Amino acid sequence: MIEVSHISKTFQKDTVEVQVLQDISVTIQEGEFVSIMAPSGMGKSTLLNILGCLDKSTEGTYVLDGVPVHDMDDDELSRIRNEKIGFVFQSFHLLPRMTAWENVTLPLVYSDTNSNMKARAVQVLESMGLADRVDHLPRELSGGQQQRVAIARALINNPRIILADEPTGNLDSSSGEEVIRIFRQLHAGGVTLVVVTHDMDVALQADRTIQMKDGRIASDVARARQSAEVAT
Amino acid sequence: MRLLRMSKQAIRSMAENKTRTFLMMLGVIIGVATLTVITSAVLGARAEVMGKVEKWGIDQISVMAGAGRKPGVPQTIPTTLRIEDAQAMLSEIENIKDVSPQINRRDFPVKHGGNSTYGVLVAANPNWSSVWNTKPETGRFLSEEDTGRLARVAVIGKTVQKDLFEDEDPVGKQILVGNNPFEVIGVLEARGTSPTGLDLDTRVVIPLSTGQKRVFNQDYLFTIKTVLHDSSTMGQTVDDVRALLRERHNLQTGVEDDFTIVTPTQVMAIASKLSTIFSVFLILITGISLTVGGIVIANIMFIAVNERREEIGIRRAVGARKGDILIQFLMEAVSVATTGGFIGIIAGFLGLKALAGFIKLPTALMWESTVLALFSAIIVGLLAGIQPAKKAASLNPIEALR
Repeated sequence: MIEVSHISKTFQKDTVEVQVLQDISVTIQEGEFVSIMAPSGMGKSTLLNILGCLDKSTEGTYVLDGVPVHDMDDDELSRIRNEKIGFVFQSFHLLPRMTAWENVTLPLVYSDTNSNMKARAVQVLESMGLADRVDHLPRELSGGQQQRVAIARALINNPRIILADEPTGNLDSSSGEEVIRIFRQLHAGGVTLVVVTHDMDVALQADRTIQMKDGRIASDVARARQSAEVAT
Repeated sequence: MRLLRMSKQAIRSMAENKTRTFLMMLGVIIGVATLTVITSAVLGARAEVMGKVEKWGIDQISVMAGAGRKPGVPQTIPTTLRIEDAQAMLSEIENIKDVSPQINRRDFPVKHGGNSTYGVLVAANPNWSSVWNTKPETGRFLSEEDTGRLARVAVIGKTVQKDLFEDEDPVGKQILVGNNPFEVIGVLEARGTSPTGLDLDTRVVIPLSTGQKRVFNQDYLFTIKTVLHDSSTMGQTVDDVRALLRERHNLQTGVEDDFTIVTPTQVMAIASKLSTIFSVFLILITGISLTVGGIVIANIMFIAVNERREEIGIRRAVGARKGDILIQFLMEAVSVATTGGFIGIIAGFLGLKALAGFIKLPTALMWESTVLALFSAIIVGLLAGIQPAKKAASLNPIEALR
């Protein structure tokens, strides 16, 4: 599903070159639930942005779903983001003047779909337990509800991959647990999940945890708990 | 479909911030409103002038004594234009159908009883009526007999009748033209205002012979009005008249004409010159307010792009291409400007209605001006929106989401 090899990323900061990622190679299979852990500022968001086709690596190759994306132009990357990737952010990033369902339909605006956008949005919101919040504005919702609207938005176009950057970082513990529960459900449904976090409790929910340090992969540990979890 | 969805988004964001949107529109509203008023007024005025010139006669030319004359502008007049010149023009130039030799004077005092007014005194021959295509409404016009006996008789225009006699029938009554008593023998049908702004109904027509001997005490003419057989060869006829008069006045080569030949085209040109100056001035104002309107839109759009970095980042993250962002912001600018344009047209129309109360302006909204106004609004929106839209499109989505 995701094959990155020998990826490096350098930023030009004033006159100094900062190397954020150094020679990272990782392969994520379809349907995997992977957490990436690192102290803040250690390049995990950059890696996530590259995986999400929002950013490009300075060096290395990236093959997504069998397609090499590292030399695609901006329009092609936008299309990939629209069709294959759903983002979930720490600060939700909902449009404040749009209702929940309108926020959820945003990816459809830029897709080729002609279906009834509202009906689809309402359906996804219902699956997030937000059936009675469809016409609410983000400021009328709690943090946990906002993040569930954001997840609904990430799911509306049936993406292959969900990328989440500290999805529980701005939530209280019960809301955070709700989000993780939803992620495990999605995982059970076959969606590939990559979650960046520095919260060990969240990281341990994944099947596999990649630890990063100084822009390199420090460890890559898989856990055999997926089957047990699904069975319960 | 995608474009339709995106235009919905653009209109939404316009509606979300009404005060800002209105401020953005204001310049365009003012510009378009003035543009609507001007073009409607100018087009209407032009149509009115054309109509008047047609009534005045497109098959006619006037010879006026003196060089470089303009209709309606007083100046010292040479004594060289004679009644014999008029006769020669009629007999020697084939295309001339009729001539009316005249002495005209503006602002001539006319009195009856206790009432007095100022009219245009015209001393002319009986054929004046057919040359000017103006008949008496009541009474009769001048006759050859009147001319022969230097009769003190006058035919007066409607305005003079109203000023001096009110509702009374003036025919057979005495009036004082200057200090000379004249008998009113007829009232001319109403003719309204000439293309040069003269009230034609203030005319008082007396026999040419009477005028020369008893009123003006001069044997030269001021004007020879000429009717042509064929107006399509007017240019040639003008040349013929000029050659004939130069010869008769013994003007050597190189000496300036001592007369001026006025054609309907010239009258139209003079009449529209004023409205042209007026419209150039107002179009300048329109241009300035549209430019200012555009600058306001561009500025507020720049601010909006900065404030909406997060939104741009989100849209890019969920799959908007650079071009989609560009189009969204461009559509916002254009819809703001176009809506401003519509409001401006309505304001302009109301303005025309209001103006009509003060000055004689055609109040019809011309569709040409509406189209022109909307078109300029769209152009302003495009020009004002392009730079902010480019900036929005080129934002790095990662930076925008931070």
